[in-house]
Amino acid sequence: MIEIVLILFAPVIGGFMYGFERVVRARMQNRQGPPLLQPFYDMYKLLNKQAFIVNPYHTILGIMHFVTLWVVVAFIILGQNFLYVIFLHLLSTIFIILAGFSVKSIYSHIGSNRELLAAIAYEPILIMLAVGFFLINETFSISAIRENSPSIIALFLLFLAYLMVIPIKLKKSPFDASEAHQEIVGGVEIEFSGLFFEFIYMAKWLEYVFVYALLMLFMGSNTVLGLALALFIFFVINLVDNSTARIKMTHLIKIVLSVGLTLGVVNLIGLSYV
Amino acid sequence: MFKKYRKKSPWILHYNAGSCNGCDIEILACLSPKYDLERFGVINTGNPKQSDIFLVTGPVTLRCRERLIELYTQMPEPKVVIAVGSCTSTGGVFRDMYNVENGLDRYLPVDVYIPGCAASPELIIDGVVKSLEILEQKTKEMEKPFQLFREASLDDGVVNRRNSALKVGEDDAKN
Repeated sequence: MIEIVLILFAPVIGGFMYGFERVVRARMQNRQGPPLLQPFYDMYKLLNKQAFIVNPYHTILGIMHFVTLWVVVAFIILGQNFLYVIFLHLLSTIFIILAGFSVKSIYSHIGSNRELLAAIAYEPILIMLAVGFFLINETFSISAIRENSPSIIALFLLFLAYLMVIPIKLKKSPFDASEAHQEIVGGVEIEFSGLFFEFIYMAKWLEYVFVYALLMLFMGSNTVLGLALALFIFFVINLVDNSTARIKMTHLIKIVLSVGLTLGVVNLIGLSYV
Repeated sequence: MFKKYRKKSPWILHYNAGSCNGCDIEILACLSPKYDLERFGVINTGNPKQSDIFLVTGPVTLRCRERLIELYTQMPEPKVVIAVGSCTSTGGVFRDMYNVENGLDRYLPVDVYIPGCAASPELIIDGVVKSLEILEQKTKEMEKPFQLFREASLDDGVVNRRNSALKVGEDDAKN
């Protein structure tokens, strides 16, 4: 029962997280910041705006991106297969990349290219994360991972590698080159407007739920400790976002693939021999 | 019930139509910690397809006219245009020069004029808050039903639809 409620309200939870993040970011910059419900005001405004459809596939792929992400979050909450969750999440990323390539806007194409390169950079780390959990729990099932004791000590290097994935997925500095707001005007989301932009906006919220739900798996059965870890990482990510500048896409790939991949491989080798 | 929340999320598109950057710096100052426009929900999007308020600075030089109109047409309704600074309102010190149009209102329907050279952040905040009222009014007007044609007249028993198209605003004046 609680799972169904959580799944239904997953976008709302993500919206609150996004609103809270905007407040936290403003306070870190010594500003007052928008109200907590600001994302929902944005949604309500977008509902009343005129919507342009560039082409039908673009719009449908945008909606599919949102729906697939929701299914991914539902699978995490229901405790399904970890590998399945990761590949379905990749599918949702592929949808938004295809949507970006389906229009003529150059910014959209650049955004899609960068999104694809970012996916190449972080996807191996997510798969190694699944392998790491498999080596400890002997199964890919998320519900089994949730029943076991915290595995953050055994997977500490993979945890560090996963910390590099979070800013890429949430489009935070220094790894926000795929969105790059004032440079390529949002990348793939540039041609969405009105009602159809709402799906992209909500997908952004679901991305928050996805990332922090995966983070909570490190704490296993201890939900309170998991929430505390998620809150702590939330502040760290925002602090890093506020204090660093954007780096180039090539640097992103080099840093994430070299450091992240090395950390992951060392951790996996350690796990299989110890 | 939710209608009062409509004006709580204005997203801004900022375009420099040949300004000297004085007003641009003041607009950026509005978003900075001291004045903090984001507490009204304002985001500087830079994407015309997702924005509500069009902030224009500069006296509209001949080179930038096409892009100005293109950006305006790419914005979805309802939208508000704000002319920031003396140059954009009237031409300012560049008035009647060979390479500028005298002000923005030759090309776009301007809703709010913000005076000053450069316009101070306080005035810009005032202008944006004023434009929120206009935005809400425009949203209401979009929802109103309106007639395109008046009732057809009968000439000698023949239905005549000639000249039955309503002019802009004629329907409102009648009601």
